[in-house]
Amino acid sequence: MGLRDRLYQQGKNTRTLLLGLVGLLFVFTAIFYLLERDREMPAYLVTNRVLLFVLWYVNVVLILAILFVLLRDLFKLFLERRHRILGSKLKTKLVATYVGLSLFPVLTLFVIATELLQGSIDRWFATPVRPVLEQGNAVAQALIDRIQTSCSSAARRTLVDLGTVDLSREAERERLAGRLREMLTENDLDFLAVYEGTDFVQGVVDSRSGISDLPEPGRDLLGEAATEGRAVRTVEPPGGRGRLVLAAVSGTPGADLDAAEAAPSPKPDAAKKEDPLAPDPAEPKPRIVVAGSLLDPVLAERTERLIEAFQSYRQLEVQKEDLRASHLLIFLMVTLLILLASTWTGLYLARRVTVPILALAEGTRRISDGDLDHRVEVPADDELGVLVASFNRMTEELQKSNRALQTTNERLAEERALVAAVLENVAAGIVSIDGAGRIFTCNGAALQMLHQREDEVVGRTAAEAWSDPERSKLAALLASLPDPQAGRDRRSAREVQMVVGGDWKTFEVKVTPIRDAAGSRGRVLVLEDLTELIQAQQLAAWNEAARRVAHEIKNPLTPIRLGAERLLEKHRRGDPEIGPAIEEAADIIVREVENLQGMVDEFSRYARMPRPRPAQLDLAKLIDETCHLYRDVKVGVPVVCEFGGEPLPAVWLDGEQIRRALINLIDNGVEATDPPGTVTVSVEVTEGHLEIHVADTGRGIPAESKDKLFLPYYSTKGRGTGMGLAIVHRIVTDHHGTLRVEDNRPTGSVFTIELPLG
Amino acid sequence: MLRATVEGDHVLVSFRLDGGIDRHLLERIDTGLPTKIVYELELARDRKRWYDQGLTRNTLEITATYDAVARETNLHFRLGGELIESKTVRDRPALLDALRKIERVPVFKVQGLTPGVRYLVLARAILGARMVLAIIPTDVRTDWAESNKFRPPAAP
Repeated sequence: MGLRDRLYQQGKNTRTLLLGLVGLLFVFTAIFYLLERDREMPAYLVTNRVLLFVLWYVNVVLILAILFVLLRDLFKLFLERRHRILGSKLKTKLVATYVGLSLFPVLTLFVIATELLQGSIDRWFATPVRPVLEQGNAVAQALIDRIQTSCSSAARRTLVDLGTVDLSREAERERLAGRLREMLTENDLDFLAVYEGTDFVQGVVDSRSGISDLPEPGRDLLGEAATEGRAVRTVEPPGGRGRLVLAAVSGTPGADLDAAEAAPSPKPDAAKKEDPLAPDPAEPKPRIVVAGSLLDPVLAERTERLIEAFQSYRQLEVQKEDLRASHLLIFLMVTLLILLASTWTGLYLARRVTVPILALAEGTRRISDGDLDHRVEVPADDELGVLVASFNRMTEELQKSNRALQTTNERLAEERALVAAVLENVAAGIVSIDGAGRIFTCNGAALQMLHQREDEVVGRTAAEAWSDPERSKLAALLASLPDPQAGRDRRSAREVQMVVGGDWKTFEVKVTPIRDAAGSRGRVLVLEDLTELIQAQQLAAWNEAARRVAHEIKNPLTPIRLGAERLLEKHRRGDPEIGPAIEEAADIIVREVENLQGMVDEFSRYARMPRPRPAQLDLAKLIDETCHLYRDVKVGVPVVCEFGGEPLPAVWLDGEQIRRALINLIDNGVEATDPPGTVTVSVEVTEGHLEIHVADTGRGIPAESKDKLFLPYYSTKGRGTGMGLAIVHRIVTDHHGTLRVEDNRPTGSVFTIELPLG
Repeated sequence: MLRATVEGDHVLVSFRLDGGIDRHLLERIDTGLPTKIVYELELARDRKRWYDQGLTRNTLEITATYDAVARETNLHFRLGGELIESKTVRDRPALLDALRKIERVPVFKVQGLTPGVRYLVLARAILGARMVLAIIPTDVRTDWAESNKFRPPAAP
């Protein structure tokens, strides 16, 4: 059954519950009414067999209904628990609690009340009523017996007295009335009559008795008397009050009635006859005398009441078990009705509580599956209703957030795709490294530059990805930089040369610290292949150098050639003054050759410049000593050292090479500055770097010359070898530093040597 | 002893109940409570080596009510719910006779019975109810008794 069906069912259950309660109220009212009426009903109706069976079957039906309700729900709970349906455990606890709370008190009450009821019934019959009633009944019966006996005796005496009188004769009949009246008075009777068979002969009534008419003894009395010889009845007198006790005695005229009186016995022949009063021509009709005595109305009533009371008591006694069963069944029925109602209500309430919980669980499942349009619809107005409303609000907020997130994700995905496309299409190689030091991304250009596949790089640390001797220069470069997690990392740029894919490559590597979304610091490496550019620059530089070398070589060669030609001409002419000319030419040749020798030595020195040998160096002292050399070199152009307030850190540098670089820069500055002017040497320590600035207030450097300034044999001075700045640049580069030139303000130039610390 | 005879249009049933009417039943009658004895009678077709085929049923119900004042017991006989006889007895033997001995009561009609086919009458008595485990009422009844087999005569 789906959740919607359950909710519909719950609504239907509410109506059913109301109807059930109304029905139960009606049933209880009816039972209460019946119990009230039960007091007025005779016991035999209460213990009626049909009623007992009906009650029992009602109880059986109720027991079956309770069992059905309980077993059905228990079975459903069992299945739910077996299938691990959410909420089944809670439902089990609720059902157990509700049913337990219903069963225990009701059954306890039933047991106690049953015992009380049975005890009460036993106590009713334990009271000494029976002896009293029994004695009263015996007295009443004895009184009636005595009257009957008295009447029988009077009737018999009358029968004896009549003797053989032939009552068929009219005269005898007339005398009979008087005789009967005498007998009535003598025997203190109220009624006396004579019958021949069923034929009435004569009868008299005591006028004082209040009997208005002659009583009719009835055919059965006469018949019994004819059959048995004697019969008695107690009848209501005609028009009179009280009870008339009749006794009939029969006899055959002429028979020995005295003997018959002593031992009256049934007449064998008469007993065999179908109708003893039927006329038999062979036999005379039996003579029957009926004597009646009126029982005083008050006495008669009391007597009858005594008898009836005793009978009622005996009836109750006989019906004791039935009565007990009847009451127990009624009580059991009420108990079962209460039990059924409470059990059913308990189960219903358990369902009512668990349905919203199940709906919430279902909602949670649907939402976890991504169905954010789902809403829990449970018509609950209690705390569960609040919970459901909160759940729906939460889902709504979640849906809004999810939509916003989706929009953002889509935008981010677009941007990421755009960035990825850009990164893939840029010429520069871009490698990102996360906070843990692992390579996060590596674009195609980087992979192409480094001749690697993506799976060889991505997800690995730099040391793992670039473990071979050549690529390890990149890892070493990263390792030489400050730890980005310490927050001291800064942008840096290096040139790294390595053999990749069999080719000698020069890369410019720019390392930039970044911070990811989690706050972790990583790096971005931008690789730029400078190989071709440098090759072009070198080619241009060598062209320039060759041009300058050729120019420089050509300069001394001209005087040498001119001197040699003049000597040859003097010799051909036989000039006698050839001796001084030879000396002059030899001087020129020697001087120019010495110039050539110096130039070649300088070039050799540049070419053979050794690798730097770093050692711990007191840079301040070195700078101060170098400045001191130029203190008085040019009047009006002092060389000033500025170190700031803080002491310089100890650095590892090749002191001689750094000194040579500084001398070249200061020498150029002094030479380029006309008095009055200043050459200032200052040092600045930044995060992880050391910067040495050499600033002059001279002529400055034209913009078009700045690109070629550090090339060998390039000079703006028109004299010198043009190797000075080339050597400075070589020294700085060998120390993993950079050299740059900027314009000074207001005039002059600033050369900056940037060296890494540590 | 159960005897069935065909006379005219009816199957007459006579039987006598042996035992069954115990002290409790008589005590109940003596208290004046209307007390019923129900005789269930079934006309069945006799089938050899198979269950008899019940055709129709009828009940003979005797209600005895003792009048302690008059010292007599009124008996009402109802056949199929219809009162067929009422009588009064004044002593115990007559009462027992009236309750136990049923003579020639036309219980079933012959009409519809197949001439020549053997039939019999089954009877049992329901002598009131008693309680089992204090609350479960059960009928006190005798076993079924079988009458003699009889064949309805062919119609003249």
